[in-house]
Amino acid sequence: MSSTIVLTGGTGYLGSRLAERLLEITDHRLVLLARDPQRARQFIDAWGADGQKRVDVVPTDLRDGTIEGVARDSVTHVVHSAALIFFNVEKLDAQAVNVDGTRAVTEFARRCPNLQRYLAFSSLYSAGTRTGRILEQPHPPESAFANHYEWSKARSEQEVLDGASGLPLTIVRPGTVIADGPDGRVTQYNAFHNTLKLFFYGLLSLMPGDAATPMYLTTADFTATAAAHLLLSPRGEGIYHLGPDPDETQTLGELIDQAFDVFESDPAFRRRRLLRPEFCDVETFRHLVDASRSLGTSPMSQALQSVAPFAEQMFKRKHFDTTRLHAAWPEHPGTDSPSLTHAVIDRLVASRWGRNQEGTSWT
Amino acid sequence: MSHFMSDTGSEDGLAQAHLHGLAHALGHRKSHLAESETAGLLESSAVDLLSSGFAWHYRCEDDQSAYDLALAAVRALPEGSLADGADAIIYSTCLPGNGNIGTAETWRSSRDVRHLMEFPASHLQAELELDRAVVIGLTQQGCTGFLGSLRLASSLLASEPEWERVLCVTADRFPPGSVYEQSFNLISDGAAACVVARSPGTFRILGTHHITNGGMAAATGEESIGSYFSYTQLLVRETLRRTGLTMADIDWIVPQNTNAAAWKILSRMLGIDENQVHMPSLPESAHAISSDHAINLSDLTASGRLRKGQRVMLLVAGHGLNWQSTVLEVTA
Repeated sequence: MSSTIVLTGGTGYLGSRLAERLLEITDHRLVLLARDPQRARQFIDAWGADGQKRVDVVPTDLRDGTIEGVARDSVTHVVHSAALIFFNVEKLDAQAVNVDGTRAVTEFARRCPNLQRYLAFSSLYSAGTRTGRILEQPHPPESAFANHYEWSKARSEQEVLDGASGLPLTIVRPGTVIADGPDGRVTQYNAFHNTLKLFFYGLLSLMPGDAATPMYLTTADFTATAAAHLLLSPRGEGIYHLGPDPDETQTLGELIDQAFDVFESDPAFRRRRLLRPEFCDVETFRHLVDASRSLGTSPMSQALQSVAPFAEQMFKRKHFDTTRLHAAWPEHPGTDSPSLTHAVIDRLVASRWGRNQEGTSWT
Repeated sequence: MSHFMSDTGSEDGLAQAHLHGLAHALGHRKSHLAESETAGLLESSAVDLLSSGFAWHYRCEDDQSAYDLALAAVRALPEGSLADGADAIIYSTCLPGNGNIGTAETWRSSRDVRHLMEFPASHLQAELELDRAVVIGLTQQGCTGFLGSLRLASSLLASEPEWERVLCVTADRFPPGSVYEQSFNLISDGAAACVVARSPGTFRILGTHHITNGGMAAATGEESIGSYFSYTQLLVRETLRRTGLTMADIDWIVPQNTNAAAWKILSRMLGIDENQVHMPSLPESAHAISSDHAINLSDLTASGRLRKGQRVMLLVAGHGLNWQSTVLEVTA
């Protein structure tokens, strides 16, 4: 029997990279469950002959609650990567896509008789506002969250753990993806990049957070490679943290200093003599965000609103354990965080956050 | 050069400088910002400005000039403030155009640039018969000009042993047709005046500080706000260092009138109680350009809450970009 991998989120930032990786390292067929089949076909075209030959598209909206049009007998792997990934997502949207959508995929996986692995993407932020050492284990039920995104990822994890009980299951929790790969190229922008942009353009001089908070930053390549490995590895069942080891992380303070070191190598930035931001407590930052509402629809106000929902996390020192990842993936390449962030910030400055280069997109 | 002055005033050879009397004048036309929004005088919505703490502002009538405001402010000084004359007049304007009484029309028709050099400080000297006074114009410090004049007056008293007092004046009105909003602040046309003298007055000037960042000379409103918090903190830190004080030594902060939330933020950052920040005129007179400190400090004085020995820090940010501070000690 030939193997078939069913993939949600295959046109997304991580899902498309994972699909490409699976085409490279397996002979399996891929079925993309896609809300926008046209967009999916553009990806398939970009994947060349392998894409044309081995990938099918089944139009699917996970918010409908069911998945139809897939021959379940042939399905050996299910990968669920579709999600709303914005920190400022509304609760109802997060519920519909991240929680209810996960329930639909889990139900589908349960009904695939030849399933060898069900892999679901979660997030390190599913840990919510907990601090201290966080193991590659289910979260305790009493967690609190800084925003609806985190809440929805924790709830979706629970949906998977409850609904896929007894199935061969992998849950991966990626860190904050800040670049495509170690060369620092950025094609998807998020709160990390937006915050640095505010600093660079002199629109923000307060940083909510504790300078000693470790930052779990990673790349799309690392995440996709790790997920593909765990999906196919007989030792890949369980929960995994996909990010740097705790001793590989940079602190928030180190990151800000590094960013300004890079900024200050730019003559236009240097001329403006912008000061490094002052760290402030979360309440002070909330006052700033509230005040920015009186600035109407200015870019500064909009950017602050997008940055605000994750501010609380900048005070929460977490140490994400990666023991299980190392055991399941001994050839794990590790993360050189300072080198990665330097490369990213360097490119952000040179491209003025994507304005000066093609092929980038703002999300 | 440090502007710290010892109790004796002799330790570093500098004379003591004291602040005498404070007065202000505002444009004659008082409007609610809803009315100004309807008249197209705002960039932000009235709702947004109201949420920032603004409500009313004052504009000059068509026949009221910045010089008229200056004269009104000086005439409002306590009686006798200038009875013994003045040795200098420091006349600051936020808008350089307010440093000339002549009109561009007269210059165009005559092509004679003397119409661009009809200095209001000279007119003031003649009008007030301050015959001994020399005049000095400060026109490139934006809204910080009034505190700039206090700094300069202190320095002049230190370097001119024969001088006894300096009249400091600031006066601005926006040209007709202007938007009455800058950096998301509602603006009033206004003027302020005070006397800085060697003899003891209400306040002793303990120190001043000034930072200019010319790299942000063309900063937008958003950029000005973006840098406001970090530069204000730098200004405070450097002012304290220069005066040998700590934040605990400061009893009152008197800032310029700006978004009320800004000082919710800064008071937390500086570790002071929000009630120590005195900015009561914000809803009534908005940001009266360089005159806010005269208005707010007069109010604080009149409130009876000041005690002898207390210290007041005046802080302001303005175009240029400039940040200035003055530390005062209550002496009477």
